[in-house]
Amino acid sequence: MRLLTHNMLSSNIKGVTKGFPLKIEVEKVVEKQVEINHDFLRNIFPKIDWKAFSDAARTMGYVELPEQAPDPSVLESDLDFLTKFHHALLELHLEEGALVCPETGRKFPVNKGIPNMLLHEDEV
Amino acid sequence: MKEIKVKDASPMCTLAPDTEPRIQPSSSVSEDRKCSSISVKSTPEIEKKYVHHVYDAIAPHFSSTRFAKWPKVAAFLESLPTGSLILDAGCGNGKYLDAVNLPYRTNFGDAAISIAVLHHLSTENRRKKAIEELVRVVKKGGLVLITVWAVEQEDKSLLTKWTPLTERYLEEWIGPGSPCVRGSSSFTLESIPETEENGLGGHPKDSRVSLTENMQQSSCSTPQNEDDSMVSRDGKSQQEYFVPWHLPYHRAEVSGASAGALANGLAKKDDKKGAVVYNRYYHVFGEGELERLVSGMDNAVIVDKFYDKSNWCIILEKTLEG
Repeated sequence: MRLLTHNMLSSNIKGVTKGFPLKIEVEKVVEKQVEINHDFLRNIFPKIDWKAFSDAARTMGYVELPEQAPDPSVLESDLDFLTKFHHALLELHLEEGALVCPETGRKFPVNKGIPNMLLHEDEV
Repeated sequence: MKEIKVKDASPMCTLAPDTEPRIQPSSSVSEDRKCSSISVKSTPEIEKKYVHHVYDAIAPHFSSTRFAKWPKVAAFLESLPTGSLILDAGCGNGKYLDAVNLPYRTNFGDAAISIAVLHHLSTENRRKKAIEELVRVVKKGGLVLITVWAVEQEDKSLLTKWTPLTERYLEEWIGPGSPCVRGSSSFTLESIPETEENGLGGHPKDSRVSLTENMQQSSCSTPQNEDDSMVSRDGKSQQEYFVPWHLPYHRAEVSGASAGALANGLAKKDDKKGAVVYNRYYHVFGEGELERLVSGMDNAVIVDKFYDKSNWCIILEKTLEG
């Protein structure tokens, strides 16, 4: 599970009003390289909840991201930033661990990189 | 490149190897008084038995038969700007289907697609809920493409190979919360299907019909519409069906789910074809039905609608945030 995915996931348990962001419990992180695409990063940047993203990266062991959302102008030409953004967003994978609902504490397991968000009968 | 799979409604994220990485995550109405008031998000029995369990068993085989391209879907995707983020709800070959409850932030995606998914939902409320979810997860101005199987099939003989579901049948098998079946045809005939949904196998068409001991005998006097769709006695269209899936024996052994399915009657063996036959629940859509489902929505409008290869299709645009 990439942090891009984590940034769009939300706990959808019945009654939960704020299911985002899910807390991350790390057991195993893997780095998988992927080719950088600046246009893609520029398009996705406005969608990202930066605080959730940088917190999550920190939990995964990556501390290079600024805690505050940078000005979008950095995406124009700041190669250093783009590389770090790319790395944290797309190249860090949570292989084993869990995502935790911030309101209920319910754990959604992550196995082989796949979060299982399926709810039980009593959670719908 | 790499794949992100979110086990739930299915979303699957892929990064294409080209220069346009596109994340495609690979899911008012007055109810008929016969429907129960169970939560719309709770999975009805008919879907558990005849959608979830079936696809659990057939998923690898089903996956291997997905080869046909869908030009209209491709065109929709290509019409979107480069770098768009698209949610594909229901893309995982039927496993982990839960289209009425998508675990995504509101307003996130640029677009969403639901290809041949909603026809597995057994109540109108669940179908509406699924559409609401698709609209919820895209941004204001975002587009949603939905395709579903049509009552009006191009290959009309196909309908004769499906098992129409009667209200009585549904109540016996499914219990409370069963789909609101319009019409009251009181017969169920089990057809021996010859071809799969993609026309694989190439068997000659053969509409032999047999009555099983579980089924009620009745004369086959179902009146036909002008377009040959099945009609029940009170004149309404038959839209609830079991559609067979033949899982070859060698595939069934590998998946292991079939022993249990055969034991509890969920599937039958067809030695002649060397396959385990599963039934999948479908509510096929009539002309205008998708439009009616969305007509009550205050945050989306229809921007396109069309019929494509036996599917009714609709494109919605989200007009309000939230």
